Formats: sequence, C-alpha cells, structure tokens
Amino acid sequence: MAGRIEARLKELGIELPVGPAPVANYVPYVQSGNLVFVAGQIPLADGKVRHTGILGDSVEVEEGRAAARLCALNVVAQVKAACGGDLDRVVRCVRLGGYVSSTGDFGDHPAVVNGASDTIVEIFGDQGHHARFAVGAGSLPLGSAVEIDAVFEVSA
Amino acid sequence: MPGTIDAKLAELGINLPVGASPVASYVMSATVGRLVHLAGHGPRQADGTLVKGRLGENLAVEDGAQAARLVGLGLLATLRDACGGDLDRVGRCVRLYGLIRCTPEFTAHATVMNGASDLMVEVFGDAGLHARTTIGARALPSGIAVEIEGLFELC
Repeated sequence: MAGRIEARLKELGIELPVGPAPVANYVPYVQSGNLVFVAGQIPLADGKVRHTGILGDSVEVEEGRAAARLCALNVVAQVKAACGGDLDRVVRCVRLGGYVSSTGDFGDHPAVVNGASDTIVEIFGDQGHHARFAVGAGSLPLGSAVEIDAVFEVSA
Repeated sequence: MPGTIDAKLAELGINLPVGASPVASYVMSATVGRLVHLAGHGPRQADGTLVKGRLGENLAVEDGAQAARLVGLGLLATLRDACGGDLDRVGRCVRLYGLIRCTPEFTAHATVMNGASDLMVEVFGDAGLHARTTIGARALPSGIAVEIEGLFELC
C-alpha cells in the first residue's frame, strides 16, 4: 500500500520538518548501495536551534529527550528526501548515533537518546529497531543540546 | 601517467603525507565491499608533530580549520594506500565524523570541520561532498585538536 509511513505519521500527528540544509560544505545525506548515511542533525525547527545548553547543567533530561526527538524528525525528513519522498522505501533503521552535550558527571545519556529511538520506532514499527550508541559530547555545534546521525537501509 | 586525482593534487600544490600508522591494535583502514572505513586520524604536520590544543582556549578557529585540513590530508594518504596507490578508484566521500577538542562554550565546530570538508570537495569535486557529523570533545588522544574518521566508496 502506498503511503503507509505517511499514514502512520498522520496518525501520530507528526508533521515532518523540511530537512535542514547543511551549514557548510557538505550534504545532508549520502546513499551508498542500499545504505543512506544521514549527517548529524541538530534540534533545528524553522531555522532555529530549539534546544541549546548542557545536560547535567542547564538542560533537564526531559528537555534533552524532546531535543533528541526533534533531531530524529530531522533525520526522518532527510531520509524522506533520500527516498525521493517515499518513506515506504525504508527497509529499516540500521543505526543511530546519539551525541549529548553534557557535563563530565552526567550519566543519563540513554534516557536522552531514547527521545530519538522511540520516535523512530513509533514511525517505522519493527523496521525502526536499530543498533545505537549514546555518548556525551563536551559541546555540540551552535550550542545544541543533542545531535543525532543515522544509517538507514532503503530499497530501490 | 599520473591519475586524474593525482593531477588535481599537483594542481592544488598538495603533497600527500605518508599514510599514518596505528598507535595500537587496529588498522588505519578496512575495506568491506565498496566501502573503505578509515580509522580516526589526527592532525599530523609535515615534520611529524601533531597539532595540539583546545579551541576556545589556546587555539583560534582558523588554526582549528587548518588542523582539520591536515587531518583530511592524512585521511587521503591512508585512502590512497587502501586503493593500492590509485585515488582514481575513489567513487566518492560518503561520510566524515569529526571530533573537535574545545571548551564547553565553543560553538564554531562547523567552521573548524570545514577545513576537512572543503579539502574533500577541492580534491574530488562533487564526489567529495559527504554527510557529516561534528561534535565537541572534552579530550582527544595525545591532546590533539581535531580527530576525524572517514567513510569512502570505491568505484
């Protein structure tokens, strides 16, 4: 059935953002074979970074989770562009990388990155289950609280 | 006859360094199918020393970008080794992952990382355009300012 994932997005009340343009001399995604490599996405909406700051300091876990969700929606927007607009071409999410701007003694990185993982599984169901890592970063571009990158498998 | 990319490097006045050696029990590149995975590289200068320092503290953004460019040259040297000396076998740069050693307040990660990204586009043209992730690191091996790992696709 065409538009299965689009229907799911509608059901979830999710309107995908327009995939943000890169801030420099690179591209938002590259496809190699059946793998789509998505560049690191920060919590941008309408051209503005919505969640800045440092977990363990100025940002609570709940906000970190919301930031990760927004990053994930930007990831999905890029994957949609990579699929020529047809998200039904997604075979699965292979891997998410979660980077959390945090203090040296912060430990709740997984809870923050769950904001991205849960979003991907909500949208893609079993095909959304992925390998993942979550690390603390000393800082992130433009002061972002979270950054997420991804590898997706897509069909021709 | 030198290859197309070798000619491009000559035109740009770029002399690639000798490919780096790993500092532990790993290799600098691993090729799987058409994908070449490059290990994290540091900014090695012509005299063999590393660019050390911390952005936002004792290293200016331009110096960081220059360090990132040096890392890019090291990646290309390893890539050339992985291609049996023939960079014309490179189809494209797929992804760069950059770690910038900096203060928590630092925000110009993208500008620093451009040193490497711009180099790839200079050398490979459109095939040098890649997906990219850049983060700030509190510490990096040996105190280096920038570390980058790369993923390339062969023709």
